[in-house]
Amino acid sequence: MDFEKIETEVKIHVQKWVGEAQLLIQRKPPAQLYVAVAVVVFTMLLLILIKLFKRKTSNTIVLTGLSGSGKTILFYQLRDGSSHLGTVTSMEPNEGTFVLHSETTKKGKIKPVHIVDVPGHSRLRAKLDEFLPQAAGVVFVVDAVEFLPNCRAASEYLYEVLTAASVVKRKIPLLILCNKVDKVTAHTKDFIRKQLEKEIDKLRTSRTAVSEADVTDEYTLGTPGEAFAFSQCHNKVVIGEASGLTGEISQLEDFIRNLVKP
Amino acid sequence: MLEQLLIFTRGGLILWTCRELGNALRGSPIETLIRSCLLEERSGSASYSYDAPGAAYTLKWSFHNELGLVFVAVYQRILHLLYVDDLLEMVKDEFSKIYEPTRMVYNDFDDTFQQLKKEAEDLAEKMKKSKQPVKAINANLGKKQGLGQKGGVDGGNQKKSCDDGNGDKDGNKTKSYVYENGHTNGEHVSNGEVTVASGVNGKENRSSNTGAFDKDKLQKMRGGKGGKKTNTAAVSKAPKEELKKKPRVWNDSPPVSKLDFTDPVSENGTDKVPVVAVEHGESMMDREEIISSDSDSDEEEELGKNAKIETKKKGWFSTMFNSIAGKASLDKADLEPALKALKDRLMTKNVAEEIAEKLCESVAASLEGKKLASFTRISSTVQAAMEEALVRILTPRRSIDIMRDVHAAKDQGKPYVVVFVGVNGVGKSTNLAKVAYWLLQHKVSVMMAACDTFRSGAVEQLRTHARRLQIPIFEKGYEKDPAIVAKEAVQEATRNGSDVVLVDTAGRMQDNEPLMRALSKLIYVNNPDLILFVGEALVGNDAVDQLSKFNQKLADLSPSPNPQLIDGILLTKFDTIDDKVGAALSMVYISGSPVMFVGCGQSYTDLKKLNVKSIVKTLLK
Repeated sequence: MDFEKIETEVKIHVQKWVGEAQLLIQRKPPAQLYVAVAVVVFTMLLLILIKLFKRKTSNTIVLTGLSGSGKTILFYQLRDGSSHLGTVTSMEPNEGTFVLHSETTKKGKIKPVHIVDVPGHSRLRAKLDEFLPQAAGVVFVVDAVEFLPNCRAASEYLYEVLTAASVVKRKIPLLILCNKVDKVTAHTKDFIRKQLEKEIDKLRTSRTAVSEADVTDEYTLGTPGEAFAFSQCHNKVVIGEASGLTGEISQLEDFIRNLVKP
Repeated sequence: MLEQLLIFTRGGLILWTCRELGNALRGSPIETLIRSCLLEERSGSASYSYDAPGAAYTLKWSFHNELGLVFVAVYQRILHLLYVDDLLEMVKDEFSKIYEPTRMVYNDFDDTFQQLKKEAEDLAEKMKKSKQPVKAINANLGKKQGLGQKGGVDGGNQKKSCDDGNGDKDGNKTKSYVYENGHTNGEHVSNGEVTVASGVNGKENRSSNTGAFDKDKLQKMRGGKGGKKTNTAAVSKAPKEELKKKPRVWNDSPPVSKLDFTDPVSENGTDKVPVVAVEHGESMMDREEIISSDSDSDEEEELGKNAKIETKKKGWFSTMFNSIAGKASLDKADLEPALKALKDRLMTKNVAEEIAEKLCESVAASLEGKKLASFTRISSTVQAAMEEALVRILTPRRSIDIMRDVHAAKDQGKPYVVVFVGVNGVGKSTNLAKVAYWLLQHKVSVMMAACDTFRSGAVEQLRTHARRLQIPIFEKGYEKDPAIVAKEAVQEATRNGSDVVLVDTAGRMQDNEPLMRALSKLIYVNNPDLILFVGEALVGNDAVDQLSKFNQKLADLSPSPNPQLIDGILLTKFDTIDDKVGAALSMVYISGSPVMFVGCGQSYTDLKKLNVKSIVKTLLK
């Protein structure tokens, strides 16, 4: 139809132009051509070099944790300073590059942070692998109120994050954030830390039992023979507290700021 | 009256709720909807029922795939509100006009919503009034069709007979099916009486389904026909004392004395036959699988590139055209051919038909209204969406780390009990031995319990495995109550300090009421930690029926208020199917439980984990 006609017309035009360009090139003296090519190659190299250097400092922070721990609320607190009307179980990740809400009042040039909230539902775990390679820091959110019933699931997920290839190789710092501390029945962060260390210790023995085929040093956590402690990890692991609903997220913001330097 | 109408993003933020209908919902219906329906790829179905203590709700939803919004309406189940679908559509249209990604507060939508609600209610009133005279006529026709249809579907074996409005034909069909079924378990009367029994069966089936007949009347009828023995798919009151096994008489030879060739010496298993412990190397569970993912992706890239070069020239033509004509979003009609092709491809890979259908509907629901990204074809978008959906379904919802559970039970000082259930001949005993071998390799002490007290040779089979693996076996011979044997086995295991008890049960068809009752009794009495359904990968559409009926019977026939259901699936005979791996998908979809092991051969080391990525790749090849 019309498309075909226009197509053939364009083809004819393009051929004409190619012919003219060829004539032009043949006319110019060779020295000029070489200089032109050299300039092009040089600028390309320069751009590639700049890109390589830029890549080293990423500004991505990944929020992860079990479903229902409060990641989406924290995301919106960081961004807007309020949790709006509440949240439901996320089916997709929430991403955003913005300046933290509490810092919008500060003067001067502040670097925006790229925050990703990965859904915690077990069927959507695969999404985490998409974002980990580019992360500068990981925040593992734990529900401090409903901690004990979910302790095993939380520690399994934490174990998977700690032994992920990108986390181990790039020594990505990790913040374990105990959320919902505004509630009276919330556990303390020391209690949570001890419980997690105990569970991960047990997981170490049963997990390494499953894949003895290719256990390299990078993927085993901590020092074998000793009880596991977060201080044994190669990457930095810290514990903090926060409350998503009331907006008490100062420890989280400090962690982010330390990683993404303005 | 609507209880609640919610608008939220796919990322989880609630954008708007109707403030008037302020009564808080009991339980958490929205969360349950997301977890058990939308994330389980069942978003193609029309509605979802939620039960909480004190409330029963029905939820209906609608997606706006382009903006990533979900609209959910909740109302009481006893009310049949007709206007909900229309209301959802209208709300969707109105809201998408005022939606902006940066705006979080939509208070002005309240008024619009009130208007829309009034409109929808008026529309429903009008439709009701116009429907009423027509309804009365249709009801009678509907009933007759319903009766015939139900009789056809349920009579006899789980074969799905086609809609047969004719009642007489159904009777004949049931006869032939029950006849076949009569041979499976040997608990039936001899051949001569089968036809008559099945005649009764056919009638009973239809009556039990429609519920229009009096069940007691039928019982009397059955009793009057001379105490017929029980048969498959019958009404639940099966007399138990008639289940004694009569030896089969083939011709006029005199009846043989009890056919039991078990060696009296080896009954207690202490014979000194020198058998070396089996050492076959490491089980395939522990070997990491090398996935060759590159070849396929290269192919795809090439295709993509060619498509790009092709469409680059036409690219700006088509976008120009689209911007003039204004059709850039995906329509159901556009998705039809691509989805149909995908569905056929899935079915050639042995996925059950209704599962493939539901999956395609769910993918369609998630793609409708989405804008096509530039330079992509519809088929590649559909393929990508289907791949994501398949990975989501096959990824386990809960941890399948059995070693961890075993250690946890060990800490508590009691043995970890695993029960293997399934239909006849799927490989329960063989795979039980494989699991025992794997556990032994990880320094866990295992004990076998021979609760298949029915099949000749079952106890000897397990005894041989136990001897080769050098593990204790608890057996009580044949014709004992399996529930009691299992209970004593667990007690024995606590006494001698075994970590795991593997319980082998007899194979049974999912329609066989008395056997399913016996199974639920075994589970109720012993309270196992893991119920593994063993299913073979060769099964086709029957997988759906097997799993759903097993789960249903376990739930219905259990005397406890919280019955235990199937926790995991063991897929066997995986080496016999080349790339027709669809049974895995059907089983996981219909039951929601993960595949914990895959049996891929007949020696001790042939036990693997399910590799989700490779299965998805094979399914969509």
